[in-house]
Amino acid sequence: MSALAGQDQELPQPPPPPRPTLQEVTAAEDRIEELSDSEWESQDSEAQDSDTMATPKITPSEYVRSVTIPIQDKLATGTTEVQDETLEAVLPFLQGNPNDFELNMFGLPTLRKEAHIKFLKHALGRYPSNFAAMDAARPWLLYWSLQGLTALGHDVSEYGERVVSTFAPFQHPTGGFGGGHGQLPHLACSYAATLSLIIVGTPSAYDSINRRTMWHYLGRMKQPDGGFTMCPGGEEDTRGAFIALVIISLLNLPLDLPPDAPARKTGLTTFLDHLGDWIGRCQTFEGGISAAPGNEAHGAYAFCALGCLSIMGAPASTFNKYLDMPRLLHWMTARQSAPEGGFHGRTNKLVDGCYSHWIGGCWPLVEAAGYTNIWNRNALARYILAAAQFKKGGLVDKPGKRPDAYHTCYNLAGLSAAQWRFAYDGGVEVEGEVGKGDLGAAFCWRVEGEWEDQRVWGEGDTVRVVHPVFVVPWGKAEEARRYFEEKEGF
Amino acid sequence: MAPGIFYHDDPAWSDVEPIPQEDGEHPLAAIAYTDEYSEAMSYLRAVMAQNEYSERGLELTEHIINMNPAHYTVWLYRSKTLEEIGADLHAEIKWLNPTALKHLKNYQIWHHRQIIVNKLDSSEGEADFIATMLEQDNKNYHVWSYRQWLVKRFGLFSKPEELQWVEGMIEEDVRNNSAWNHRWFIVMGGRDGKELPEAILKRELDYAKYAIRKAPQNQSPWNYLRGIVRYAKLPLSVLKAFTLEFADLARPDEVFSSHALDTLADIYAEENSQKEEAKKALDLLATKYDPIRANYWNYRKKLLDQPEAVS
Repeated sequence: MSALAGQDQELPQPPPPPRPTLQEVTAAEDRIEELSDSEWESQDSEAQDSDTMATPKITPSEYVRSVTIPIQDKLATGTTEVQDETLEAVLPFLQGNPNDFELNMFGLPTLRKEAHIKFLKHALGRYPSNFAAMDAARPWLLYWSLQGLTALGHDVSEYGERVVSTFAPFQHPTGGFGGGHGQLPHLACSYAATLSLIIVGTPSAYDSINRRTMWHYLGRMKQPDGGFTMCPGGEEDTRGAFIALVIISLLNLPLDLPPDAPARKTGLTTFLDHLGDWIGRCQTFEGGISAAPGNEAHGAYAFCALGCLSIMGAPASTFNKYLDMPRLLHWMTARQSAPEGGFHGRTNKLVDGCYSHWIGGCWPLVEAAGYTNIWNRNALARYILAAAQFKKGGLVDKPGKRPDAYHTCYNLAGLSAAQWRFAYDGGVEVEGEVGKGDLGAAFCWRVEGEWEDQRVWGEGDTVRVVHPVFVVPWGKAEEARRYFEEKEGF
Repeated sequence: MAPGIFYHDDPAWSDVEPIPQEDGEHPLAAIAYTDEYSEAMSYLRAVMAQNEYSERGLELTEHIINMNPAHYTVWLYRSKTLEEIGADLHAEIKWLNPTALKHLKNYQIWHHRQIIVNKLDSSEGEADFIATMLEQDNKNYHVWSYRQWLVKRFGLFSKPEELQWVEGMIEEDVRNNSAWNHRWFIVMGGRDGKELPEAILKRELDYAKYAIRKAPQNQSPWNYLRGIVRYAKLPLSVLKAFTLEFADLARPDEVFSSHALDTLADIYAEENSQKEEAKKALDLLATKYDPIRANYWNYRKKLLDQPEAVS
């Protein structure tokens, strides 16, 4: 579910053109058959020729057995019904290769970069009239597509000027961005627009953002209890807290609340006042983090909460200060579906490729806080490569679903979290580096290299590094921050 | 307005100069709107630019919401209009009900509803409507969040009907975690950390245990059970006898719940002399009963050797 976007699943999943016909989809499903282990081995022998690494052999079926929980309750309920259906849809893809994809040296489908690039380029194109429901989500379509393309190693500079001119009429005279011309400003749109422009990364893209009005707009979202609303009078949840800090930090905005911020009337003076405590109140009895105090723990809101704390300070200090970490780890770990390997967002819910990022992306953040090597990277990568790639390009929630830019972007971001190792250099003063001023913590990350232990992806299946906090291509956040640090005033 | 008749032909709108959508050259992800949608939006931009709050503006928002319910701007403008013209808010709820049912997953509707019900200052009928919505989708996050807002706004924490209702939801699907979370919210949420009366503590422990016995490999009631023990600041060992019903290290081949094994590991970890037992439980999880999380169970094992770290 696209919680950050504030658009729930009911959006007509945007299957960007060309739209597969129903016949094509069902035909693809007809081809889903389980390959026997021997068939798999004969396919694998070709791939093994080029394999110089001595990988312990394990057939896909053995793998599935090795990660299955051998306990099943007899009582059937609505939850088990849909879970059984899901497993039925996913298993053939974990145990075989129903789409006849080319396999890597580990016997898993390769990451089909060219097909996904083609898909995302289409997603930036024109939509037919029945996509009117996406009219307020166009900033997201740009962000998801651009971010996905860069993760696949595609140079997006060809779109640079068009990104700037597309967003120009979205910016509201009173600050922030809306979903289109004449639409009211909204934090979700402001987030997607800011990140898109930072991915473009040209002076004209940076300068197209009115930082002064953005600062005032964010000031109006700050609430007396410490959190942020998504728009004036709108809902207050961890998305708002995360987005506000992402924008302040990237654009190097003043940390003081603007003079006209309503929260000043209740004695607050900075954007950070009461914020950590408010986030802490969102941790539930389950250990996970919810949209707002009292709600159910949920993966997407958890990522936003941890992202927010990762901007407030070094994760090792802010996480331990505001959260009960053992319980958070317990909850996060439990979100990995077995045997699927992908993640779900809430207890007893279904695996969905978008949580590859929402939960998968939480892991680099908690690792930076010192809790390392706790999750199963390879199981996630296996789900993404084997089950989340759509035959004709784009990535999906689960087999049988249509691809869209949202699931493509966040499956790929999750793959980055699985494939790359990061280190957090907080506290190390490096002369000339960015992030010296306020909210500089998220600029202290370093890429340590690729994950190697029992990995299941080949060299061609690696995505470009996605920044663990800002979810933009590695280097882009630093470039933007440097640009705005060197700028005087607004 | 009759279908097919556009605003530019309608005398009631003749005083408005529509503002067409400015899209720049070669916009990305542009939508080829229908003429009907495009024109309605042009009139909306115009009335919003004039800060016009009127009956006709309200009709315009209804027209656009029917074409695109996921349009937050239209909802925000609608709620502002209702406020400015002092519209009948009961009528608004009446209109919202079928609209919400038609667009089950739309979340703007729920925030709008919250604004209206807040102004109405009455929760009458809301519980029933929520129940109808959850019949269609019993884990809908926005609907449950709205229900929590309702409980808080109208102080329904200790209303017996609220507990009965959520118990019914759990009866229907004991794995519905949203329902468990709501139970927690009404029982514990209104307490601000204040001590749980003995009778309620017992009732909640019994209820979670009863639910676990129905389906032991269901994490929702286990999380609930352990949450209560923690809230009441009891040692985890109060759950020992119960947990052993489902996982006993003396019978490692007869484990009925990985969550019981997980709980057992923590019970043993609390007792300094039982660390080896805790390790055995964690080993069973890592190697047999929950192997996808082997890294985590092994991490917990390592913690046992660090005297200062208690999980």
